[in-house]
Amino acid sequence: MLNIEHLVKIYGDKKAVDDLSLMVNAGEIYGFIGHNGAGKTTTLKSVVGILQFDCGEITINGISIKKEPLLCKKQIAYIPDNPDLYEYMTGIKYLNFIADVFELSEAERTVSIEKYARLFEMSDSLGQAIAAYSHGMKQKLAIIAAWMHHPKLIVMDEPFVGLDPKASHLLKQMMREFCNEGGAIFFSTHVLEVAEKLCDKVAIIKNGKLIKQGTMEEVKGDDTLEEVFLELED
Amino acid sequence: MLKILIHKQVGEIFRSYFYDAKKNKARSKISSILLIGSFVLLMVVVLGGIFSVFSLLIAKALIPLEFDWMYFIVVSLIAIALGTFGSVFSTYSGLYLAKDNDLLLSLPISVDTIIISRLVTVYLMGLMYSAVVIIPAIIVYWVLIDNITLPIVVGNLMIVLIISVVVLLLSCLLGYVVAKLSQKLHNKSFITVLLSLLFISGYYYIYFRAKVLIGYFLENVLLYGKKIKTFAYPLYLFGRASLGDWKALLITMIITAALTYMVWKMLSKSFLMIATSSANNAKTQVKSFKEKPKSVFFALVQKEFRRFTCSADYMLNCGLSTLIMLIGGFVLLFKGKDIFANLIYLFDGDSNTICIFLCGAICFLIATNDMAACSTSLEGKTIWQLRSLPINTFSILKAKLAFQLILTVPVVIFVTLCSLWFIQPSQTIALAVLLFNILFTLLFGLFCMYLGLKMANLQWTNEISVVKQSGAVVIALFSCWIYGVLFVGIYLGLGNFSALIYLSIGIILSLLLSIIFYIWLKNKGVKCFEEL
Repeated sequence: MLNIEHLVKIYGDKKAVDDLSLMVNAGEIYGFIGHNGAGKTTTLKSVVGILQFDCGEITINGISIKKEPLLCKKQIAYIPDNPDLYEYMTGIKYLNFIADVFELSEAERTVSIEKYARLFEMSDSLGQAIAAYSHGMKQKLAIIAAWMHHPKLIVMDEPFVGLDPKASHLLKQMMREFCNEGGAIFFSTHVLEVAEKLCDKVAIIKNGKLIKQGTMEEVKGDDTLEEVFLELED
Repeated sequence: MLKILIHKQVGEIFRSYFYDAKKNKARSKISSILLIGSFVLLMVVVLGGIFSVFSLLIAKALIPLEFDWMYFIVVSLIAIALGTFGSVFSTYSGLYLAKDNDLLLSLPISVDTIIISRLVTVYLMGLMYSAVVIIPAIIVYWVLIDNITLPIVVGNLMIVLIISVVVLLLSCLLGYVVAKLSQKLHNKSFITVLLSLLFISGYYYIYFRAKVLIGYFLENVLLYGKKIKTFAYPLYLFGRASLGDWKALLITMIITAALTYMVWKMLSKSFLMIATSSANNAKTQVKSFKEKPKSVFFALVQKEFRRFTCSADYMLNCGLSTLIMLIGGFVLLFKGKDIFANLIYLFDGDSNTICIFLCGAICFLIATNDMAACSTSLEGKTIWQLRSLPINTFSILKAKLAFQLILTVPVVIFVTLCSLWFIQPSQTIALAVLLFNILFTLLFGLFCMYLGLKMANLQWTNEISVVKQSGAVVIALFSCWIYGVLFVGIYLGLGNFSALIYLSIGIILSLLLSIIFYIWLKNKGVKCFEEL
């Protein structure tokens, strides 16, 4: 589904991502962990076409994000770490904007919006301006917007930050269901317990370099993910 | 504690002189000195000079009549008006909308201390604006009178203090009203635009009528003097207090103190409720989730429209021409016959020259419709959305351009047709004028896009820095005006040059430049946006 090969991203004279390669297959939840400033967000932003990278290749279902960005982006949904959404829109207008961009029919969008808004208990809030939303509500709206157009790959940056326990639990369920239906998820997190329970595969990045990756069992062995992570960080 | 908070507040007022928010770093010493110098120049030399001349005019008429007290009433009222206008909105935003209200309220600081620290900045702003009027007025008075006595000096100095307190009280009252209204209103941005336009219209009405009004006032000064003594005795007392009348001064101070106490009580009682209000967060039920699908381009244009209508600052600074031209067109429909009859008479029936002037005027008018110059920057932190969604970058840019053209081209056509109806040039000239105006509007839109992309700033904290103070907006505005002046100036300079040929050259030039900017936008503009 997602193939990153020898990715290099340089800011000024600093290599934010250095020769990073990994592959996320359909049906997999792929966790991406690392310390602050390790290069996680830069990698995720490169995957979804926000950042232009210096070397390497990123393909989604065999299509290069560099050469065919629109074809790739049609298959992706992205949720950033800080959901800066269009605050001047109401929740429902925002979702319809996303639906227009992904060319969803009236029936498709209505069903999706109703379904996910009900799940996240947002039905009553969609008429409000996003400016009045709390961080958690914005995060929920970003999740609804990501799921509503049935992407093949969902890329998320710290998706659990700001969510209440119920929404957090729901998101984990949705992630699993999404992958069971053939989708793939690539997400970064600092919550190692969640990563350990949820992810099929995990990659650890340090100073822009991938230092360990594989299935959860391969990476952590008999230890906890936290122990492995701290050991590698040292 | 109060000292710490006041230090923080005062630091915030002058922060922009020492810190460049755009570059996120401290300004150089030279830059700070230049900024402070230009501010002092504006306040002391320009504004102070204007009010010195004004005071001199009034004083020369009133002092010989021994109406010194009325002189101080007039200049004090102007000082109060300017001071209040200068600080009313900062009271509202500084007192109730301060970003650190929640933080300060969570700290072990009394609410009264927070209010006082906020009011210090309001007071300083009011003092600064009112002093620009009252200090020159006092200096002028001292120069004109023969004998400067101690009571006069004390009275004069006391009114500076009293005026600054009155300005503070009025600012607080009006700020309170604005805050209460904001809690109730839904379409705040439209109401703000409407109120601002009413204020601007009123301001310019008074400005253009000032000479007549002052003349009328001076002609009837004796009558007004009598009326003030009879019907507005506190005002008379204030005037007397300014001259050092101890009794009047004492009464004025007692009244001011009583009013201060009342306003303080009101603020103290309402501050917490307003500052922590969440009235605008009331849930609004969505009637239906159904919405007809739209094309991506239409959705993008609609997004631009929503961005525009949600911000009074954006509408006032970048979209005023639409309203001005719309009103102007209707005015022309009713008054055009007289206006153009005078112009045709002035130009000896030369309708062609009037047509060239019309084109120049349109260049001038559309200058303030420059949304495309700042719409890229206005994406700010939300830029990730357009970059991560499957939208062709050129479509995004076209939508921004289209938005400006949608709001400008129809009114340009309307005003042009209304004008041409009364100018009645030949059909060829009329067509050329219409074509020139439309093409120039297109060229201006493309130029705004170019500037907006080349000078994009996504790291702003206050949108006013983008819609009003950004380089792109300023350059767009002045370029448009200069183009208008040059277009008319060159034609006049050429003497008896054919208007049709001149307009044709203008059309071809606008078309060629538009094509160049369009090609740039499609290629380099797209890259520019993708690299943001």
